[in-house]
Amino acid sequence: MTKRPTRSAKRPSSLVLYAGILFLTVACSAERETVRLQFGAVWQGATIDCNDGDISLTDLRFFVSDLALVDKLGELHPIALLEDDRWQQSNIALVDLEDGQGRCLNGTSDRHATLNGTADRADFVELRFSVGVPFASNHANPLRASAPLDDAAMHWHWRSGYKFLRAGVSAGDDSTWIHLGSTGCAGTVQNIESCRSPNRVKVSLPVVSTTSRIGVDLSVLFSGVDLANGEPSDCSSGPAETDCAPMFEALGLPFGEHAALDSSVFTVLP
Amino acid sequence: MALASAVVYEMGRQSTFDWPIADDYPLPLVPKGNPMSNAKVELGRWLFHDVRLSRNQTVACATCHIQQLAFTDGKPRAVGATGELHPRGSMSLVNVAYASRLNWANSLLAHIEDQALIPLLGDNPVEMGMGGREVEIAELLATEPGYRRLTQLAFPNDKDPFSVLNAVRAISAFVRSIISFEAPYDHYLAGDVDAISDSAVRGMELFFSERLECFHCHGGFNFTDSTTHASTSVERVGFHNNGLYNLGHSGAYPPDNTGLYDMSGDLRDMGRFKAPTLRNIALTAPYMHDGSIGTLGDVVDHYARGGRLIENGEYAGDGRLSPYKSEFVVGFELSDQERTDLLAFLDSLTDQSVITNERWSNPFRP
Repeated sequence: MTKRPTRSAKRPSSLVLYAGILFLTVACSAERETVRLQFGAVWQGATIDCNDGDISLTDLRFFVSDLALVDKLGELHPIALLEDDRWQQSNIALVDLEDGQGRCLNGTSDRHATLNGTADRADFVELRFSVGVPFASNHANPLRASAPLDDAAMHWHWRSGYKFLRAGVSAGDDSTWIHLGSTGCAGTVQNIESCRSPNRVKVSLPVVSTTSRIGVDLSVLFSGVDLANGEPSDCSSGPAETDCAPMFEALGLPFGEHAALDSSVFTVLP
Repeated sequence: MALASAVVYEMGRQSTFDWPIADDYPLPLVPKGNPMSNAKVELGRWLFHDVRLSRNQTVACATCHIQQLAFTDGKPRAVGATGELHPRGSMSLVNVAYASRLNWANSLLAHIEDQALIPLLGDNPVEMGMGGREVEIAELLATEPGYRRLTQLAFPNDKDPFSVLNAVRAISAFVRSIISFEAPYDHYLAGDVDAISDSAVRGMELFFSERLECFHCHGGFNFTDSTTHASTSVERVGFHNNGLYNLGHSGAYPPDNTGLYDMSGDLRDMGRFKAPTLRNIALTAPYMHDGSIGTLGDVVDHYARGGRLIENGEYAGDGRLSPYKSEFVVGFELSDQERTDLLAFLDSLTDQSVITNERWSNPFRP
């Protein structure tokens, strides 16, 4: 953390503010390195997609926010995502791992598997992020929101907020899915005060690289679902939905009487 | 009908809109961001009846909200554009301008503008299924000459008025304009003592009695306790468990219809639903959030028993014994004549004008 030159030493005192800001931008970016986090859908370690197979993806889209890397000294370095008017704001991104083909009936043809950003240059040991949309953005008017928060498929007008995660698989005639979002919110739309169950998933992964591949293991997420009994199950995050309990448990979220645990849905791929 | 040219306070300035509301009744609250205008209501009337607002061009708002049925659809539970069955029935839109909360049991929805996004864009269940196709709605406004003209008239100050946001505003303004205060009961209140039968008068007295307790939840000028208006600073919001279900003696409701509990996660909210307006109630069968009671007579019998007994099947249980039931659903005894009188009173709330007036009719129909 001592490699960065002191700014005042290099900045000519006569420089106008505009030029100063320009200089600072260049100076900072020289200290930063590119972050490329590539996400992939996996089932018991093997990649899956929307095409017909023993296990097919039916949907996999989720928001990630508050991305940060932790260095060896335990210091947190936020990742600044590159804004692209479609998938990424500086602190929020939509990861879309379905392509609208095959079993992904309600999907979109375009995907966004790789998050692009920058972070301080350091020796990292851990990656942290949230699956979800931060509270303030989550309850603002979606019809006025900027990308990726303008994606109607991800908004949840019924509960006021976004679907943080849409995920589903089919196995033959059986299938399962989850729509995850905040529930138990108090107040009214555009004036939400708080939510009893925020349901943001905190992910912490051991990484040594800023170009790690991260797997979303749906066999873990749906480990409590019997996909061979011919009875489709689904979870819309409601408190009365018994199908939700094992999925929330897998995500490390509390559900009813069940307390929060560590999640192993997200893994670092080799 | 007296057309009060009412002055309403909107966006920090006064504007006029011709509410069909006599002086005896308060005016609705109108959100500051969506002031009423005749042009906006007219645009909303076309959009409300336009099947192009559904994914496969098969349903319009009016498909589930039919004017002749007081803007309900006669079905126990609504059916979406793709055939998906909704857990609940279509609610009447009559006097929804006065509703402090929209929908059957969603504590978050205080404005029609927010509620409208659910049938229009939602995908669980699919109702109109336009989620991800908002641009098609904006294009419809911008490209079809009739819509283009109406949109410019409705939103004269917008640089780019052709947006899904404005479509939703117009539909909301139209829905907000659906006002019903011309029932025989209203004329009786206004001094026409012959407007309703003697039987209905006796039924009215029963309705407002402590013996029957109906008015606690269905009280006030709009016959629902979830009512607000422009002349009050009090926002009344009510949700009630009326003893329809008691699964496994636990008080539970069927899992896809737990009422306010689905919102709050608080067990005390199990089975709590909004008391709908009783205006035009004779036209809106079947009844309850899931259409599980077929006739108004059966509804009266349900409340007389103080909860429903389901003897067999997956929903078996005695709702009368539910631990979450409202304190006002205690049961009562009615003679046959009293039952007839009560139903006569409920019939006197049917307003023929709201189901026939052309201002709310389908403009596409020649």
